[in-house]
Amino acid sequence: MPMLDIKNLTLEIDNGTSRVKALDKVDLTVNSGEIRALVGESGSGKSLIVSAISGALPPQFHITADRMSWNGESLLSMSTEQRREIMRRDIAVVFQNPITAMDPSATLGEQLEESIPDELVKGKWFWQRRQSRRKSAISTVHKVGIKHHRHYLNAYPHQIPTDIGQKFMIAMALISQPKLLIADDPTRGMETTTKTQVLKLLTRLNQTRSLSILFISHDLLAISSMAHTMTVLYCGQSVESGRMKMLRKRPLHPYTKALLDSAPSFRKDLPPKSILPNMDGIIPSLKHVPIGCRLGPRCPRAQKDCVITPAVRRIHDHTYSCHFPLHMEKL
Amino acid sequence: MIRILSRYIILFVLTLLVLAAMSFSLAYLFPGDVLTNLTGITAQNDIQRNALIKQFRLDSGYLVQFGYYLNELFAGNWGYSFISGLPLRDEIGLALPATIELASYAMLLAIVIGIPVGCYAGLRSYTPADYGINSASMVGYSFPVFWLALLFILVFSLELNIVPLSGRISLLFDIPDKTGFILLDILLADNIDRSLAFKDALQHLLLPTLAISTITTASMIRLTRRSVIDVLNRPYIAAARSRGLSRWQIFFRHILRNALLPILPLMAIQITTLITNAMIVETLFSWPGIGNWLIQAIYQRDYPALRVGMLAVASMVITLTILIDLFNRLIDPSREKYERATV
Repeated sequence: MPMLDIKNLTLEIDNGTSRVKALDKVDLTVNSGEIRALVGESGSGKSLIVSAISGALPPQFHITADRMSWNGESLLSMSTEQRREIMRRDIAVVFQNPITAMDPSATLGEQLEESIPDELVKGKWFWQRRQSRRKSAISTVHKVGIKHHRHYLNAYPHQIPTDIGQKFMIAMALISQPKLLIADDPTRGMETTTKTQVLKLLTRLNQTRSLSILFISHDLLAISSMAHTMTVLYCGQSVESGRMKMLRKRPLHPYTKALLDSAPSFRKDLPPKSILPNMDGIIPSLKHVPIGCRLGPRCPRAQKDCVITPAVRRIHDHTYSCHFPLHMEKL
Repeated sequence: MIRILSRYIILFVLTLLVLAAMSFSLAYLFPGDVLTNLTGITAQNDIQRNALIKQFRLDSGYLVQFGYYLNELFAGNWGYSFISGLPLRDEIGLALPATIELASYAMLLAIVIGIPVGCYAGLRSYTPADYGINSASMVGYSFPVFWLALLFILVFSLELNIVPLSGRISLLFDIPDKTGFILLDILLADNIDRSLAFKDALQHLLLPTLAISTITTASMIRLTRRSVIDVLNRPYIAAARSRGLSRWQIFFRHILRNALLPILPLMAIQITTLITNAMIVETLFSWPGIGNWLIQAIYQRDYPALRVGMLAVASMVITLTILIDLFNRLIDPSREKYERATV
């Protein structure tokens, strides 16, 4: 049974006069011990899914789902208190922009220590507990690859470089020993060596502690090296989802193919000085979403039927929603 | 740290110097004799006049005169009042603490009521409770203070007759003046029934304090509410929520501090309004404060008193503003270390 199971998640934004579907029937599952990648262009609603899972949505967002459950318990029907407990103990989130996601008036150490759930703190008296908190903060900070803990634990968010901030966000997520880590673009703005460090750290945690990771990014190279499964999102619709290997070998959805083709490192057959293939047009804004399959206007294979939203089809554990999928003649 | 402090001290001294220069120039700008405006003494004959001119260096250049003026200010010789003939320093020494006392109680009331109510409205933003608080504070903010004070007098003193009309304390009590603050003086005084005097003083304080603090409280509520709403929309609050902290933990650890930090400099701006309001209200309640005293001075064309009174009030405002800004600088970690000091 999947740990996190989301079926037909729809997120509507009230903009006064009408409702816009920012997410349209998105399916997403994360199994225990798996690294699932969630890819899509900017504006495809990746971060909205994160906020929907963590329950940090503004009141004008309306969320409906056929199923949104954590280990079999429905996240939507449980009380705020239960939801809070799950977020505190089981799910941890690494946000996109580390510097704004940290309180500017508190030191990093304080913020790190307050993320520790009570049962992980040893000792009976408050000074023992404080020492225990400090200890686990320092060891977590070392674990994510920050050496000068004394300096950084007493620093304020505006005093640190972005990559250290990102590592701190990861430390803050890991210190509560969660079962699922939702990493919203954790390597954004990092240079390659730091990025590799962070990715290695996440992979190691996945292997040693069997931590499930929902890895959200548009860095296909990073994803392909670590993720087991991948879900592709386009303009609030999940277009294709399946095992990484399958998707790379035989993408069924035209968008997945375009996405993979646009990354030159995946193309061994690319002749020198040739033009990199890309899909024409840009992702539509939420004010002007096309009806039916939202890829329609940009899709090279679009036909008349594409004005009807395609149903989700499934071949083994590979799901896609397209009327005219690629590579079907071979199957 | 020392750099920050020295920057503030330099700013403070320079501002005071400019104020002193303006107050000195008033002696020339006011109608009438410069010598009389400067000293407050009307010379009876030429001999006395020449002696005074010599003493105040009026026969030398402006800079020398200003130097002597500064010297006298520091020495505590602020000149004499036209009307009472008393040294101005003694008169201001009596009047200024009374105003400070009134203003500080009003400020205290505004903080004690305004910040919690503002936080509540901010946390419950865009609900009926918030709308209620917001409109109440809007109404409170729109009252002209002189009208409100008159209304209070009419209702509570004249109609209901539950609080005294004017003054600081009933004439029955003879309170020796030690600190200038009536409540402290009562505690220090001997030979009187202290609890009775205290109660009487509080009754006298009630109406003026309420009249001044209504407006300050209202603006404090609005400032706090706005600031809390701003902080609530920041990504770090969403991040704190996603970490599963409880609502109280989020409020006390993340919202309160971040919401109050930007309010503090705005409070410094409120002080000017507060003292202006205090001066207006004093006149209505015959409170023996600096505002009442200045109004009397204006009526009686007491130019030396106006000159020194303006300097005293302005120095007080500048001192408080700079102190609050310095305090804010010390407690706010996100402010630049080498940012310039400002008033």
